Amino acid sequence: MDIKKVLNEATKQIERCSSQQELQNVKVAYLGKKGKITELLKSLKDLSLEEKKSTGAKLNSLRTDIDDLLKNKFNGLKVKEINSKLTNEFLDISFPPPNSIPSKVHPISKTFDEVISIFGSMGYSVAEGPDIETDYFNFSALNIPENHPAREMQDTFYIDYTDKDNKPYVLRTHTSPVQIRTLLNEKPPVKIIAPGRTYRCDSDSTHSPMFHQVEGLFINENTNMGDLKGTLIEFCKQFFNVQNLKVRFRPSYFPFTEPSAEMDIAYEIVNNKIHLGTGDLWLEILGCGMVNPTVLENCNVDTKIYQGFAFGMGLDRITMLKYGLTDIRSFFSGNLNWIANNGFSIGDY
Amino acid sequence: MKFSYSWLCDHLETDKNATEIGDALTNLGLELESLTDYSSYSKFVVATIKDFHKHPNADRLNICTVDDGTKTYQVICGANNVKKGLKGIFAKDGMYIPGTQIYLKKGKIRGEISEGMLLSERELNLSDDHDGIIELSDNFENGTSAINALKLNDPVFEIGITPNRGDCLGVRGVARDLSAKGIGKLKPLKYEKITKLDFESPISWNIENDNNSCEYVISRYFKDVKNTVSPEWLQKKLISLGLRPINALVDITNFITHDLGRPLHVFDADKVGKKLHMRLAKPNEKILALDNKEYTLDSNSTVIADNNNALAIAGIIGGESSGCTEDTKNVFLEVAIFEKDSVAKTGRTLGINSDARYRFERGLDKNMVIEGLDYASFLINKICGGSVSKNIDSGKLDTNERKIKYKFDYFEKVIGIKLEPKKQIKILKDLKFQINQSNEKECHLLVPSWRNDIENNIDVVEEVIRIHGYENIIESIPSSSEVEIIKINNSPINKKFKVIKKLKRILISNGVSEIITFSFHSKKAHEILSGDKSLKISNAISDDQSFMRNSMIFNHLETAEMNYKKGFKNIQIFEIGPIYNTSQSQENILSLLISSQEKTNSIFKSEDFNFYSISNIVSKFISSLNFDVKQFNISRSTSNKFHPGQSAELKMGKKLIARYGKVHPLVMEEFSKLKNSYAIELFFENLPIDSMSRINSTNILDSQFQFSEKDFSFVFEKDQNLFEVQRYVNGIDKNLIKNVEFFDLYESKNLGENSKSVTFRVTIQSKDKTLDEKDLEQIHKNILEKVSYKFKANIRT
Repeated sequence: MDIKKVLNEATKQIERCSSQQELQNVKVAYLGKKGKITELLKSLKDLSLEEKKSTGAKLNSLRTDIDDLLKNKFNGLKVKEINSKLTNEFLDISFPPPNSIPSKVHPISKTFDEVISIFGSMGYSVAEGPDIETDYFNFSALNIPENHPAREMQDTFYIDYTDKDNKPYVLRTHTSPVQIRTLLNEKPPVKIIAPGRTYRCDSDSTHSPMFHQVEGLFINENTNMGDLKGTLIEFCKQFFNVQNLKVRFRPSYFPFTEPSAEMDIAYEIVNNKIHLGTGDLWLEILGCGMVNPTVLENCNVDTKIYQGFAFGMGLDRITMLKYGLTDIRSFFSGNLNWIANNGFSIGDY
Repeated sequence: MKFSYSWLCDHLETDKNATEIGDALTNLGLELESLTDYSSYSKFVVATIKDFHKHPNADRLNICTVDDGTKTYQVICGANNVKKGLKGIFAKDGMYIPGTQIYLKKGKIRGEISEGMLLSERELNLSDDHDGIIELSDNFENGTSAINALKLNDPVFEIGITPNRGDCLGVRGVARDLSAKGIGKLKPLKYEKITKLDFESPISWNIENDNNSCEYVISRYFKDVKNTVSPEWLQKKLISLGLRPINALVDITNFITHDLGRPLHVFDADKVGKKLHMRLAKPNEKILALDNKEYTLDSNSTVIADNNNALAIAGIIGGESSGCTEDTKNVFLEVAIFEKDSVAKTGRTLGINSDARYRFERGLDKNMVIEGLDYASFLINKICGGSVSKNIDSGKLDTNERKIKYKFDYFEKVIGIKLEPKKQIKILKDLKFQINQSNEKECHLLVPSWRNDIENNIDVVEEVIRIHGYENIIESIPSSSEVEIIKINNSPINKKFKVIKKLKRILISNGVSEIITFSFHSKKAHEILSGDKSLKISNAISDDQSFMRNSMIFNHLETAEMNYKKGFKNIQIFEIGPIYNTSQSQENILSLLISSQEKTNSIFKSEDFNFYSISNIVSKFISSLNFDVKQFNISRSTSNKFHPGQSAELKMGKKLIARYGKVHPLVMEEFSKLKNSYAIELFFENLPIDSMSRINSTNILDSQFQFSEKDFSFVFEKDQNLFEVQRYVNGIDKNLIKNVEFFDLYESKNLGENSKSVTFRVTIQSKDKTLDEKDLEQIHKNILEKVSYKFKANIRT
């Protein structure tokens, strides 16, 4: 029998195929029910048992060979067909994507976060109060009676609506009313910070009618001015990332603290940039002091037992100092270029 | 407050220089705001314009030939007072100009070389005057230093006085405080008391009973004075403060106001009646004051008046009609104590910020009444001559000595450092406290008459540490306690800030930028969002910031439009901050605006942004807060900020959780560039904080058994709330129905006007077994029957 011939012929035919359909036809012609191999197998019946055995084995191996050839060719054709299809699917990978600006959080958000976390590590929890305050909470309870010159230090926004004392509501000029609200609600020891929006009717390149402050209050039995100094220096070191921070506390006046102080940080100008912590120039950072016993008494705190300190600092100001920003008005302009350049992306916030 | 070094030295004997004194002032709480030390001005010299001609290329410029005594220079000058022979102050190439903060550089101006600059007062930081270059009147030689030519050899201090330190509103008070700090010795006040008071004053006083704002007034009458130009020493002092010398009588009162902090007033005695009253003003009483403005008073203000007219506003400003002029022959000097609140109130109402008001409202030294009277009498008599009457007064001067029992150990308790009683007493004595009956523990103090701010022990502690020095306070850092840390972890507000941070992180990682806008919105916003009950600010800076916002949408649209004009076409911004409903109701919300205007890029086609896109975003936010949006009740939003048909509200009970959708076209009329704008308002404070900040897992086990999906189509009434349908289907068999997903909504005329066809897919799965055909059929049947019955819906096949 010409098994070899059949194999040669099949091999040639398979190689000639250029499509899956042609290959299928070849497959039927050899391996199908009426295909050549089947016919050859049928012809075995006339042979002797010995021959049947040997020829049968050869035919079976022929069948396997052709099947393998078919499979190989089939795979080859499939890859070829897909590849030829892909050549039509080439895109211009160099087409530039549209310009987009990174979306970021506002620098103030970053500062809020850091302030809460640094003071959090010192044991301060966060407290809140409303932006629209009564005259009593914003002034009187803080030992700033009507006609007190300190009221003129702060240009107050008034709301066209009066409270139960028949005084117009004010937009809080500082976060200090949160001291009063907290002390009226909680018994000492009290250790809180209160970040939030504050308002003064003032608008130029260094003043914005709205700005942010954080208030701090620590009332306990023996909290003293050394604790105040240590706490604020520690905060500034952590916030500004300066280990050797030259600071100055100098006497000042706030009706709600006594003794009162302002804290300055030393700075110098190096290569036209502010360098914090060293130098002979001073930047005012915050106001602070021991809470005036009158204020504690206004909140029904027993001043024979309790005393403590309070501080207030401008969050926009410390943000500007830390990141070298110059115009507070740009904080509230909503300019997306500014946010993209000065904000913080997810990994940094 | 401003004063010069030499003026300070009139009161203080000191060997300290200006810089040392400046540091000491700051350490005393009298913060040095500026020290104008002109020693560096020696490099600027007198020079003469020898000749000048017009600049060929610039009309307003002249080319001057300037001689500084050693050489001539070509100088281009734009001043309008350029003339031949003018003597001015000259700066050469390379010199630093303090007023403009630049270094001069030789160069060409419009093609002509300029080798220096003739300076204006503003360029030397001497005043705001920039009308022309300095013109020296005296004939100084060229090359004379500017310090000599302009008499700048006296450094000027400017210090900030806090409201409690009225005692330092005179140079003498400052000197007194410095002496307590050990910076020199206070000199006695040098003047001679006039003892020859030999006639009765023809003018007398009456403090009316209805008015307790004047405690005491004392006067003297000066006969036959000659009011002249003040002597040079007096003029110089006033000029150093920036005050204009007027005439001797007026200048003397101004000088004493700033020297002793003691305001007083002189009337031209021939222009007032014989009886003067301290009385309340009549309603609408008018007075023309010395500032040449007419003020209309109310009956809360105190005036000094004769029988006919108001002559002065008490403690604030004198009247024009009774003021002293060069023709004044007879003078009536008034020294009074006015109640500070009354002066403050009147001054504020009338908007007058005078030197007198500033001092009265901070409280005066009552012991300075007689001293002021004597000192002024001496100066008037010395400069203007004439004779002086006996005193005429009214009221009673209550010197009100303040006594404090002070405990020495209170200092250590408050300040945290030990200071021996001996040292504390030394400081108090230096501050001129009188110390009576002191022992180891305590002492009795008599407060100096000028320190109205000292009333109790804490005030005394402040004085002691102020002089001892804040730099001597030893720092300690109180560490956090366990109790505090647990309190922080449990604090709802701390948790809220964590939730806010989470929201911000989600937003920025989804391409939304954070902005912060003012808590105000504009009058326009208030008008357009009609029905808006936002609160009005009485004294707003402008109409743009005149109401408290009760929504951020308008601010955000303004921001979007501003950015659109900068070239941003697709804007995604958010703010987390307060909105205000009434004076005591403020909520922090998340407000997000998506304004997508550009779809023109044929390659990067942005998808159509519509209500459903925004609804999907809301769903994602809510799930990041551990809630499922479908838990809430949905309804159309009735807010006039939103498109009525393309906006929704989610509520939990009565609490609003979210409001979102397309911004109302009427609002968008104001923002023509931003037609396609959508907003979300998320009232996250209305969700329970512990759920939003949950960190533990919810413990739902994945079933191991096969699940089955089946689609259902129903025709509902058009306004059927599908949130309700979904909740209902979920509830039909809570154990087996795992998920209900809506995926098709279809309306057509064939269905009928009032109908909609909705398809949803239900996922069914058991925890215990693989469900067989029979189980599934039962559930399917259940869903079909119950939904069609409950919602009167037709099954669509």
